[in-house]
Amino acid sequence: MDKAYHFILIDDSKLDGFIGEKVIHNTGRSLSVQVFTDASLALEFIKQRPVDEKKTIVLVDILMPLMTGFDFIEAFLKDVPADKQDNYIINLLSSSINESDLIKSQSYPCVNTFLSKPIKKEMLVEILDKL
Amino acid sequence: MMEEKLKILYVDDEENNLIGFKAAFRMDYNVLTAASAKEGLSLIEEHPDIKIIFCDQRMPETTGVEFFEEISQRFPEPIRMLLTGYVDIQSVVAAINRGHVFRYLTKPWREPDVKSAIEEGYKFYVTNTTLAARNKELQIANAELDKFAYSVTHDLRGPITGLIGAIEIIKESEDLAEIKHLAELMEESAQRANALIYNIHQHYNLNRGILTIAPIDFEGLLEELIALNQVKKNYPAVKLEMEVIQQDVFRSDRTMLQLIINNLLSNALKYQRREEPNKFVSISVKAGKDGAIIEVKDNGIGIAEKYFQSIFQMFFRANSDEAGSGFGLYNVKDAINKLNGDINIASDVGSGTTFTVSIPQK
Repeated sequence: MDKAYHFILIDDSKLDGFIGEKVIHNTGRSLSVQVFTDASLALEFIKQRPVDEKKTIVLVDILMPLMTGFDFIEAFLKDVPADKQDNYIINLLSSSINESDLIKSQSYPCVNTFLSKPIKKEMLVEILDKL
Repeated sequence: MMEEKLKILYVDDEENNLIGFKAAFRMDYNVLTAASAKEGLSLIEEHPDIKIIFCDQRMPETTGVEFFEEISQRFPEPIRMLLTGYVDIQSVVAAINRGHVFRYLTKPWREPDVKSAIEEGYKFYVTNTTLAARNKELQIANAELDKFAYSVTHDLRGPITGLIGAIEIIKESEDLAEIKHLAELMEESAQRANALIYNIHQHYNLNRGILTIAPIDFEGLLEELIALNQVKKNYPAVKLEMEVIQQDVFRSDRTMLQLIINNLLSNALKYQRREEPNKFVSISVKAGKDGAIIEVKDNGIGIAEKYFQSIFQMFFRANSDEAGSGFGLYNVKDAINKLNGDINIASDVGSGTTFTVSIPQK
């Protein structure tokens, strides 16, 4: 059977959050889905949450007010214990692929992929199959 | 005020030449003289406003061409002219190729020739420096445009990709409650895109427009804005207070004032705290001979102090509310600058915000 994962989706757009949640469910491979419009709340959630043997896929939008996707990654690397970090697979989302964002994302080894919005089921399945 | 005289430097190792040159031109120009290349260089360093430099070719230590070659890198702006008693083609070629001279004059010089060379050279200087300044402005404008294009495509594509995604779901869905919920979210996204386009339009009008200065009737202006925002219908829970004290005729640009007050008013109305039972927004205007003070106050969500500077930047959003385009206060600041005014903010998170705008009389 295909492996299932936990999901955390961070997007300041409520609509994109709703759609993303729906798409994640449609993959049929989600154990749980948490949607946040504010990245700092997602970070709190990750810090509080006990380590699970199942991995968590994090999908985070780059351009958000207050805490951007990159701010989130910085804070994640700094504030989340290293052994816990391995449990999270971080993917960046953007509605426009900007060259400098792409290059910047490659400087973070913890970033798995860079996805162009809107999120589609096939895109997620592809990521999951490669893990 | 008299126009300042054009500053000219003349470098020559023969003292008599320097004296003669100065005597001939000091009435029309501000003439500085130097007896060696070294002395000339220190004068150029001291006087960055030297616009034209004459130099003798035959000097004991450094030749005129060598001198020009040396300074043309460090001080490219002043116009260089070479003077020489010996017409030898080699030095002419060198002067042009290495020293980048503008004119080549033979000694003994004739006053009208030197004068016409100065006038021509100065014209060239002005054209060059204006061009350089324009180039710099263009570079800045281009960089801004790049940033602008990126942000606009992102901010416009954002809501639209959301809408496309939502449509995909609706096509598959049989669940009416879900469809209705999606419709609400879609409306927000569409409104956000719409607001952004409107604000970009305003931004361009702001930059293209010429100010139209006329007496301002603040009472009429405020009534208009309140109607425009449909305050009673859209914000029934908000108590809106308005006070106008207009003692004297106040002249300014109505469209700019409208933009400023409208943005501040709609922000005050929009960023209310849901749990606050006595929501209020107040606008007060005091206008007189010296200028106008406009105050827009609310008891809404407030703005953290660390964002006070950033809120006026393009595309900055201090709130994750989807309705914000990150453009409103940027336009406000821009309009205030156009009117030579000033804006101040006082705010506390959770208790409200007061923006105070002062606009001088035009």
